[in-house]
Amino acid sequence: MAFTSAIPAADRLPVTVLTGYLGAGKTTLLNRILTHEHGLKVAVIVNEFGEVGIDNQLVVDADEEIFEMNNGCICCTVRGDLIRIIGNLMKRRDRFDHLVIETTGLADPAPVIQTFFVDEDLRDELKLDAVVTLVDLKHVLLHWEAEEVQEQLAFADVLLLNKADLVDESERLAIERRIRAINPMARLLTTRNADAPMDQILGVDAFELERALGLDPGFLLEEHAHEHDDAVGSLALVEERPMDLDRLGRWLSDLVAKRGPDLFRMKGIIQLKGEENRYVFQSVHMLLDGDFDRPWKPAERRCTQFVIIGRDLDPEGLRDGFSACVA
Amino acid sequence: MTATAPLVSERLCGQLQQAITTLSWSADGEFLAIASAGGELLLLDFRAGCEELLRSDRDSSLNAIGFSADGQFLMAVGQASELLLWELGETGVRPMALDPIPLDAGWLDAAAWQPRGLLLAVAAGRQVRLWDGAVRAWRPECLDMPGTVHALAWSCDGRRLAASCHGELALCQPEAAPAAMPLRAPTGSAGLVLSFSPIGDLLACGQMDRSLLLWPEAGQGRPWQFSGFPAKVRALAWSDQAGRLAPALAVASGDTVVLWQQRNQSQQGWKPEPLLWHQQRVHALAFAPDSNLLASASADGTVGLWDSRGRLRQPLEGEGQGFQALAWRPDGRHLAAGGDQGRWWLWPVEVPSRERQRRSGGAGFG
Repeated sequence: MAFTSAIPAADRLPVTVLTGYLGAGKTTLLNRILTHEHGLKVAVIVNEFGEVGIDNQLVVDADEEIFEMNNGCICCTVRGDLIRIIGNLMKRRDRFDHLVIETTGLADPAPVIQTFFVDEDLRDELKLDAVVTLVDLKHVLLHWEAEEVQEQLAFADVLLLNKADLVDESERLAIERRIRAINPMARLLTTRNADAPMDQILGVDAFELERALGLDPGFLLEEHAHEHDDAVGSLALVEERPMDLDRLGRWLSDLVAKRGPDLFRMKGIIQLKGEENRYVFQSVHMLLDGDFDRPWKPAERRCTQFVIIGRDLDPEGLRDGFSACVA
Repeated sequence: MTATAPLVSERLCGQLQQAITTLSWSADGEFLAIASAGGELLLLDFRAGCEELLRSDRDSSLNAIGFSADGQFLMAVGQASELLLWELGETGVRPMALDPIPLDAGWLDAAAWQPRGLLLAVAAGRQVRLWDGAVRAWRPECLDMPGTVHALAWSCDGRRLAASCHGELALCQPEAAPAAMPLRAPTGSAGLVLSFSPIGDLLACGQMDRSLLLWPEAGQGRPWQFSGFPAKVRALAWSDQAGRLAPALAVASGDTVVLWQQRNQSQQGWKPEPLLWHQQRVHALAFAPDSNLLASASADGTVGLWDSRGRLRQPLEGEGQGFQALAWRPDGRHLAAGGDQGRWWLWPVEVPSRERQRRSGGAGFG
C-alpha cells in the first residue's frame, strides 16, 4: 500500500501528530501553536477537554477508540474516533489550514499515523506532516523502559528535547545519545518551555517522500548499529554499489510481512543501477511507499542510505538481506 | 435522459455562512429546518411565508436536526455536545427555545425522533439516550454500546430502535412491556448508516469495510452481506413503494449509487444496478415519498434525479458548490438540498406519474 493519495499533496490538509509521555509539555506546546502568530488557522484535536487553556472553537475532544480493520492486522489498526471527528471537522475545511492531533501520553503513535494512510477519506483529504514527540529531559530516564516512551521516540520525525533548563549539559548529551540510538533520523530540537520555532514543527512535510530524508542532512555518515540494551533500536545501512529495485522490493515486502509489527519506521535513499534519479522510500509498520526522486547531483556522494527503526532488530540478518539486493 | 418534460423548472434558494450539514422537514411539510457547520439553524415557515434564524453562526457545528412526529418539537445536536430543543407554536410564531441540555459526550452527530411517538434517541458517545417529549426528561435507562455509536434508526412503526458502533449492531424496543434485553449482532466493522424499510421492516446497515448488511426481519435472524463496494457505504435510502418482494434500496459508496431490488428469497436474490454518473462522492440519497423517484446529492456539485429503471431523468446543478444533504418534503413534490458553501435550494419537482403508479396498498405506513 502506498502512502500517497491520488489527490495532490497541495490540495490536502496538513496534519501534525503530537506525542509525548505524561508531563512532557504537550499542552504547553499546543497553547503555543494556538497563540503563535504564524498566520495559520490551526484546528486541534485533544484527548481531554479543558487542558488547553485557549478558548477556541477549533479545539475538539476525541475519545481514543481503536478499530481493528482486518482481523487484528497491526497495520490496519486505526483510530476510529479520529475518522469520525475529522469527518465532521472537514465540513468546516475553509475555517482552518492545519490540523494538530494530540495523543495521550500512553498512546502508541502507530494507529494514529496509520489512520491517515489506511482510511479512504482521510487519505484523500489530509496529508501527514510530521510526528512531533516531546521528551521531558528531566524525567524521561525514569520512564525509559515504558513501551510507549520508546515507541514515541521511534516514530518521531521531530523530537523536542524539552525542559533543557532542568538538566545539565552532560545529562542532556547522554540522553541525546540514547535517543539517537533509537531514532537516528528525526530532527532534534532542544527547548526549555516547548519554545521551538514554529517552522520547525508545522509544515515539515516529513511524510512527503522528496522531503522525508532531508530533515537531518548527513544523518548517515557511517553505517552503524547502535549498541544499547533498549529493545527498540535502529540500524543504519550504507551501500556504495548500486542496488537492484526488484530484489530490494522483494526483500522489503518479505521483511514487512514477517517482521512488520516490530518494524516501526524505515526510510531510505536508494541508488539504483542504471538510474540517474534517486529512489526514495519509507515505511510505517507494513505500509510501504517508494518513488523516484530528483536526479543525483554531480557533487553528491552516490550511495544508498537506509535506516530501520524497530524492536528486537537482527542487525546481521538485516545487513545480509540488504547486501543481497546489490545489483 | 429523455426528451420528456423537465421535472424541475424553478427553484427557491438562500445562503447560510457555513456548509449545510443537514435539512429536515416537519411531518406536515409546513416547516423546513436547515443547519450548518457553523451552528446556524434556519427555520422556513411555509404557511406563514417567513423564515426565522433560530441560531446564528457561532463556529460550532450542528450535525443532526429533526421535528418530532407531532410537530411539537425541533431538536438539534452537534459539536457543542448539547441537546437543543425548541417548542413550536402556531405558524408564524417564533419557536420557544428550551434550555440546552448538556451531554458531555463529545461531538454529537446522530439523533432521531421516534416516528409516531415522542421519544428522541441521541447517540452520546458509547450510549444511546432517550429523551421523552411527553414528560420532557431523559428516560432513566439507556442503551450501552461497546464503542462510540455511529448511527441510529427507528423502524417506521416507531417500535424498534437500532444503533451501530464498530463491531456491533444493537436493537431495542424502548416501549415494550415487559422490557426486553436488546438484541445484539456482530458486524465485523463500523456501521456508518442505518435504515429500516417503510414496508416489510428490513434493516440495512452501510459499513466502513465497504459492505452492506441487510436483515430480513427488522434486525433479527441472519443478515445478507453484500461486499465489494468501491468505498465506505455512507448513505442509504429505501423506497416506500412495494417491490416484487421488498422495496428498492439505494446505496451510496464513493461516487457510485447502487440500486438494489430483491428478485427472490435466496442468498443471491438481491440484484444490484449501479447508477454511474456522479464524478465525486455521493453524500446523500432520498426517494421521493409515494414514488420510486430517487435523488442523489454529490460533492461534484450535482443532484441526480433517477427513475425506477435507473435512468437519469434530470441533473440539477449546485452553482459550483458540492451537495451535502437532501430532504424531500413529505408531499413528495418538493426537494430541498444543501451545499458545502452554505447555499440551500428548494425545487418543486413534477414527479412523473409512472413513478407513482405502484402506490402501495398501505402495508407498513399510512
